[in-house]
Amino acid sequence: MNRDFALGSLMLMVAGSYYAAATLIPESQLADAVGPQGLPRSYAVVLALLSLVLIGQSRWRVHKDEDTESSHSSRALWRVGGMLLIGVLYIVAAPWIGYIPALAALIMVTTYYQGGLINRRVALVSVSGAVFFWLLFVVLLGIPQPAGFWPSLF
Amino acid sequence: MFSTLFELLFTTPIVPAAFGGVAWGILGGALPGISPSITMALLLPFTYGMDPTPALVMLASTYVGAEYGGSIPAILIRTPGTNAAAATVVDGYAMKLQGKAGEALGISLYSGFIGGLFGLIVLVLLTERLSSVALAFTPAAYAALGVLGLSIIASLSRESLVKGLMAGVLGLMISTIGTDPVTGLNRFTFDSPELLSGIPPILVMVGLYAISELFVQSGEPGWEHVPREKARIKFPNPAMWKRLAIPQLIGSVIGTIEGVMPGGGGTVSSFLAYNEARRWSKHKEEFGHGSPEGVAAPEAANNTVACTALIPMLSLGIPSSNSSAVLLGGFLIHGLVPGPLLFVQHSEVINGLYTGLFTANVAMVIVGYLMMTPCLWLVSRPKPFLMAFIYALVASGVYAIENSLFHVGVALGFGVLGYAMRYFKMPFLPMVLGVVLGFMVESNYRRALVLSGGDRMTFLQDRISAGLLIVAVIFLTGSLVRHAMDHRHARS
Repeated sequence: MNRDFALGSLMLMVAGSYYAAATLIPESQLADAVGPQGLPRSYAVVLALLSLVLIGQSRWRVHKDEDTESSHSSRALWRVGGMLLIGVLYIVAAPWIGYIPALAALIMVTTYYQGGLINRRVALVSVSGAVFFWLLFVVLLGIPQPAGFWPSLF
Repeated sequence: MFSTLFELLFTTPIVPAAFGGVAWGILGGALPGISPSITMALLLPFTYGMDPTPALVMLASTYVGAEYGGSIPAILIRTPGTNAAAATVVDGYAMKLQGKAGEALGISLYSGFIGGLFGLIVLVLLTERLSSVALAFTPAAYAALGVLGLSIIASLSRESLVKGLMAGVLGLMISTIGTDPVTGLNRFTFDSPELLSGIPPILVMVGLYAISELFVQSGEPGWEHVPREKARIKFPNPAMWKRLAIPQLIGSVIGTIEGVMPGGGGTVSSFLAYNEARRWSKHKEEFGHGSPEGVAAPEAANNTVACTALIPMLSLGIPSSNSSAVLLGGFLIHGLVPGPLLFVQHSEVINGLYTGLFTANVAMVIVGYLMMTPCLWLVSRPKPFLMAFIYALVASGVYAIENSLFHVGVALGFGVLGYAMRYFKMPFLPMVLGVVLGFMVESNYRRALVLSGGDRMTFLQDRISAGLLIVAVIFLTGSLVRHAMDHRHARS
């Protein structure tokens, strides 16, 4: 299975799901001639047609470079998955432990994940970085960040 | 007009915004892999709480600064900081090997300044003329304008027309999330209150450009370190000014043409300018071996593009490059819709932007000289720290838009989508165009039909609408013919 075939199949599924979701949009007495479902359904049909064209193209085009890239791609996907997980953990942790500890953890873990070490220097830089961003956003720009449980202690 | 622009310099915080934007742009542009659009996308959340004029000046100045910043690692470590600086590598790095790194950096800065001023003059002269038909625009004309904007997707999809169109349709689909513009019904919100107002284009841009790049960079090796003592800028002397005048003019003219062309941008223009400068040079043999003209032409070209790329975006609301799409996002988050009416309803913002761009070009020379040491310090930091701090900046900045961690999650989601699009070789700009123009096309298309009692001929009866649709058809046909010819060439 080559890359274009995979993309075409994926987009065909997206078009089908989107079309199904568009049919669930309720009718309205205020609706115009096109209606709230009109263009979404058209978009889904166009995407499905384009997907079929891409699948068709992929059957007769030769992709020489894809086998050599596949092993690299799987490694890269793991790295992206790790980076994404760090971001998700930040989203989960920030409302509980607050902005500065969550951001310091994000900086420290990302540094380690990118090939750095975990030692006192990295910990110091991470905490300093988090405090710097807190000063920048909260103190200087007046933009609140997640407070966590800290305000309830005082 | 000039007295108004001059007054703006002292009555609004344009000067600090321009200097700050240029400084940020130079730093971002100097980091290999961080393009002007990514540098701007990283700054976008910060501008949310600012007044519109300084916010937009800061974003546009970032674009100006990043185009110069990209030449710093191109000259010093043979690694272009931005794609547009790739042409500068050839002679810039050769000059560095000859011990002329300071001269090369000075020529880059000086030529960027000349190109930027040239582009600004063209921007001011052309944009107002294009937008002079503002008051004649009807809903049908706006819908047709949106279709014209979408038609450029075909020319942005050089590698695969089908994938470009797919990305555009995906963008249109994303634009339908939220409240329906005519009936007020909720669409694709899945009972989530956060989705009622739709997905802000800023999240799409930060995710696609900044976060996906972070993901890509996470698997790349670090870059070469630069010894600090080798980078003192030396501006060219009058004799050199004379020698550089022709390549700078060539670069500026090519930058003007490419800037307004959809998908043209700094990269194409800098390579074209390099080739043309070599063709017209009296010292052809020096090209490739450290020619000052080989640095001047591409640098003038990509800085001209930083201004002329704003012409279609400001006058028609159609971004022709990734960077102008991000600047468009800056307009949208302040409730300003670029296009014909902007010049009538918010002329003060446009005047402020012109003044800011002039200030930015002057600031580039001053800040560019002063920022050399901080830039080299930044490029020399361990890559894991840089990546971690950019991630922290994105997470904090996106949250700041509406104090919502849900938005951080959405931006991360678009980061993953952007990574997948890179994997499948789908271009970003068609999707951004779809997201940005989708609402305008749908709402005006349906309003025009309501006003005409459902008569679709209204789009051909309205002169502006008909004219724009004809241009869109010509554009689309031309792109399809070019794709077919490219395909035939590839097969033969």
